[in-house]
Amino acid sequence: MKKLSVLSAVMSACAVFAAAPAAAQGAFPQREVTIVVPFNPGGASDMTARIIAKGMEAELGKPVVVVNKAGGSGGVGMSQVARSAPDGYTLSYIPVELVMHKALKLSDLEPSSFEFIGQTTMVPSAVTVPADAPFNTINDLIKYAKANPGKVRVGNSGAGSIWHIAASALEGNQKVTFNHIPFEGAAPAVTALMGKHIEAVTVNAGEVKAGVDAGKLKILAIMTKERDPAFPKVPTLIESGINLEFVGWGAFGAPKGTPKAVLDVLGAALKKAASSDEFKQFITSRGMVVKYRNPEECKEFVNNQYVFFNDLLSKMELGK
Amino acid sequence: MESLMGLLSGFAVAMTWQNLLYCLIGVTVGQLVGVLPGIGPTTATALLIPLTYGMQPVSAIIMLAGIYYGGMYGGTITSVLINTPGEAASVITCLDGHEMAKQGRAGVALGVAALGSFVGGIASILGLVLIGPPLADFALRFGPTEMFSLMLFGLTMVVGLMGASIVRGLVAMFIGLSLSIIGMDPISGVLRYTFNQPFLINGLDLVTIAMGLFGLSEIFLGMENLAAVGKPEKLTSLLPNRDELKSTTGAVLRGTGLGFLIGLIPGTNSAIPALLSYSMEKKLSKTPGKFGKGAIEGVAGPETANNSYCGGAMIPLLTLGIPSSPTIAILLGAFIMHGLTPGPILFTQNPTFVWGVIASMFVGNAMLLIMNLPLAGLWAKIALVPAKLLYPIVLIISIIGAYTVSNDLWDVGVMLVFGVIGYIMKKIDIPMAPIVLTYVLGTMMEKALLQSVKMNNGSLVGLIESPISLTMIILAAVVLSGSVYAEIKHKKSAIAGEID
Repeated sequence: MKKLSVLSAVMSACAVFAAAPAAAQGAFPQREVTIVVPFNPGGASDMTARIIAKGMEAELGKPVVVVNKAGGSGGVGMSQVARSAPDGYTLSYIPVELVMHKALKLSDLEPSSFEFIGQTTMVPSAVTVPADAPFNTINDLIKYAKANPGKVRVGNSGAGSIWHIAASALEGNQKVTFNHIPFEGAAPAVTALMGKHIEAVTVNAGEVKAGVDAGKLKILAIMTKERDPAFPKVPTLIESGINLEFVGWGAFGAPKGTPKAVLDVLGAALKKAASSDEFKQFITSRGMVVKYRNPEECKEFVNNQYVFFNDLLSKMELGK
Repeated sequence: MESLMGLLSGFAVAMTWQNLLYCLIGVTVGQLVGVLPGIGPTTATALLIPLTYGMQPVSAIIMLAGIYYGGMYGGTITSVLINTPGEAASVITCLDGHEMAKQGRAGVALGVAALGSFVGGIASILGLVLIGPPLADFALRFGPTEMFSLMLFGLTMVVGLMGASIVRGLVAMFIGLSLSIIGMDPISGVLRYTFNQPFLINGLDLVTIAMGLFGLSEIFLGMENLAAVGKPEKLTSLLPNRDELKSTTGAVLRGTGLGFLIGLIPGTNSAIPALLSYSMEKKLSKTPGKFGKGAIEGVAGPETANNSYCGGAMIPLLTLGIPSSPTIAILLGAFIMHGLTPGPILFTQNPTFVWGVIASMFVGNAMLLIMNLPLAGLWAKIALVPAKLLYPIVLIISIIGAYTVSNDLWDVGVMLVFGVIGYIMKKIDIPMAPIVLTYVLGTMMEKALLQSVKMNNGSLVGLIESPISLTMIILAAVVLSGSVYAEIKHKKSAIAGEID
C-alpha cells in the first residue's frame, strides 16, 4: 500500500513536471545551465563565477554548474563555449583576456564571438612598492624611473598578462622605461617584491592586501577611475595627475547567436545575482569592485576595451 | 616560551568537538583526493573554499589546511599499489614503492610512508612553532637568481639517478628538459612547440605525464604476458626488517630536514623536496643498485620530505602572509575571504585563531597516522589482485584521473601517448627518474634564469653576486666533480681488476 502511494506520488510529480513546460511554451531554462570558467579553481575568476552561479541558480530555478577548463590563457575554455550550441545552456565567464587574445596570437577569439549577458566586476590594479621604498607617491616613482631608465623592475603576472600590460600602459603614458619581470601569476610577483628582488608590481589590489596589512608593502596608486573602497586612502592615477585608467574586469557571455529571449532571462538572473550582499561582500574582500553593466553597456564596454588593448598591444613587443 | 603558551591555548581551540570534526573531514578529503590521480590537494582546497563561507574562520582554515597536508598521505597509496601517482609529490615514490609492492611488501612501503609522513609533518610544525619567523625572513632572500642556483644544485643530483648507462641517462635528461620547454616562453610570451593547440600553451601537466610513463606503461608491459606478471605470493608485515631500520630512520630524518627547508623557499612545490630526497638517498646509499628495485629509503625519504614541506610552507604564509606555493596561495585566499590577513599582525591580533590552526595540524597528522597504519595492511592486499582484474580497473581510474586535470579528453590523450613512450623506454632500458626530475626542475630553472638575467639587465652577474647563489653554484660544482671523480676511480679500479 505504502509502495503504491509513493509510486502515485512520483507519477503525479512527473505529470506536473511534464505539464509545466508545456504550459510555459518551453520557457528557458528546461535543464541545468553550465558556466565554464577558463581558469583553474581557486582564483578570483573562479570564485566570482561560483558565487554568481549560486545566485543565478536561485533565479532560474534550475542548477547552474561551474566547470573549470583552464589552459591557453583562458583560450581553451572560452573557445569551447564559443563553439557550443547557442541555446543558453553553456555560458562562459569572460575575463579581460578575451580582448587581448587576437593581438597576442593566442586564439581567434574576439568580442563578436559572444553575446554578452552582463559585466559583474572590475579588478583594480595597484602600483605597489615595499613599505620602506624611498617613494611615497606615484610621482616619486615616475620621477625616479625617468632619471633611471630601465632601473625600475616591475613584476607582473606573466608575459602578455593583464598586469604586464598595465605596467606597459603606465610606461607608455609617462614616457618612462621599466624593466618588466614576468612571474607565473600575481602571487609569486608579490613574494619577490616582499623579498625586494624587484622595485614594484602592478598586479591587482587583492593580491597585495596581505602584504600591505602586514606592513611590508605600500600602494602608491590605484589605476581605476575611482578609488578602491578596500583602500580608501590610496589615490588614483588620475588624482595624481596621470591621465590613465586601466582595469581588469569579469563578465559573462553566451555563444554568438543565442536567442534574445534566452539572453533576457539570463541577463535578469545575472543582474539579480550580482546585486546580492554575499556577492558584494566577497568581491570587496578579495580587493575587487562590484561593477554591473547590462548586456548592451557590457557589449559596448568590451568593444571599447578591444580597441584600447589592441592599440596598446600593437605598441608592445609581445609574442613575436 | 611565548609560542609554547600560544600552542597550548591553540590546543584548547583545536580540541573542541566541532574543530576536531572539521579537522577529520579535512584530512579525510585530503587523503581521498591524494589517492585519486588527477584531482590534487590544490584543486580540492579551491573547490571547497566556497563551502566554508558560512563557517567559523578557524574551523574553515583547519579544514582546508587538513586537505592540504592530508593529500600528501594519500598520494602514496596509488603510487605504491598501481604505479600511478595520486598527486605530484608522490610521483617519485612509484619507482621503489611499486617494486616493493611486487615483492609483497606493499604494507611495509605504505607503513613506512605513513610513519615518515607523520614524523615529517610533526617535526615541521614544531619547526614552525619554534624557529619559524626568523627563517621565513631569511627565505625571502630567495629570489629568481637564488632559485636558479638552487635548482642547478638540484640538477646535479640527477647524475646519481642515471642508472648503469650514462648515455641512456643523458637521453632521459634530454627528454625531460625538452618536455619542459613546451608552452609559452616565460619572458617574451612566444609560443613554443604548441602547434596551434591551446592546450599546449601552458605546457604539460606533471601528474598526467607520470601517470602515463609509470602507470600505463606498466600495464602495457604486463599485458604482453599476463600470466607472468609478478604477483607476490604473500604479504609481509608492516615494519621494515632489522637491516633496513637504520637506513630508513636516516632517510626519514634527512627527508624531514630537506622538506622543511625547501618549504620555506617561496616558489617551490611539493614535488621538488620529494624528488631531491630520492636523489639524495640514492647518492648517500651504500647500495645504490637497490634503488628502482624496491629500496625502502626510496619511499621513506620522499614521502617524509613532502609532508615536512607542507609544514615548512605554512611558515611564510602565517608569519609574513606570503603565498609560497600554489596550494598555499589558495589558502591565503581563504584567509582573506574570512576577513583574516596572514602575517605578523595576525599573531598579535588573533592569536587563538593562529595557534588553533597550528595545533590542529598536530591533531590532523595524528589522525592521519591512525587512519593510515591499519589501512596500509588493507590497501596492501590490492597487490594480491590478479592482473587481469586489476589492470582494467587501474586503466579506468587513470583515465578518469587524467580527465579531471582540466575536464578535457586532451589530458587523457596525453597520458596515453606517454604510456606508449614509457613502454618503449622500458623496452630499451631508459631510466624514468631523470625525465621527471629534469622536467620539474627544467621548467623552474628556465624561468628563474631568464628572470634573473632580465633583472640584471641582461647580465649573468647576479648569479655570482648573490652570496646564496654563489654558495649553491660552488656546491653544485663540488657534487658534480665528486661524482665524476668517483666514476673515474670506479672505472680505473674495474679496469685494474680485469688486468689482474
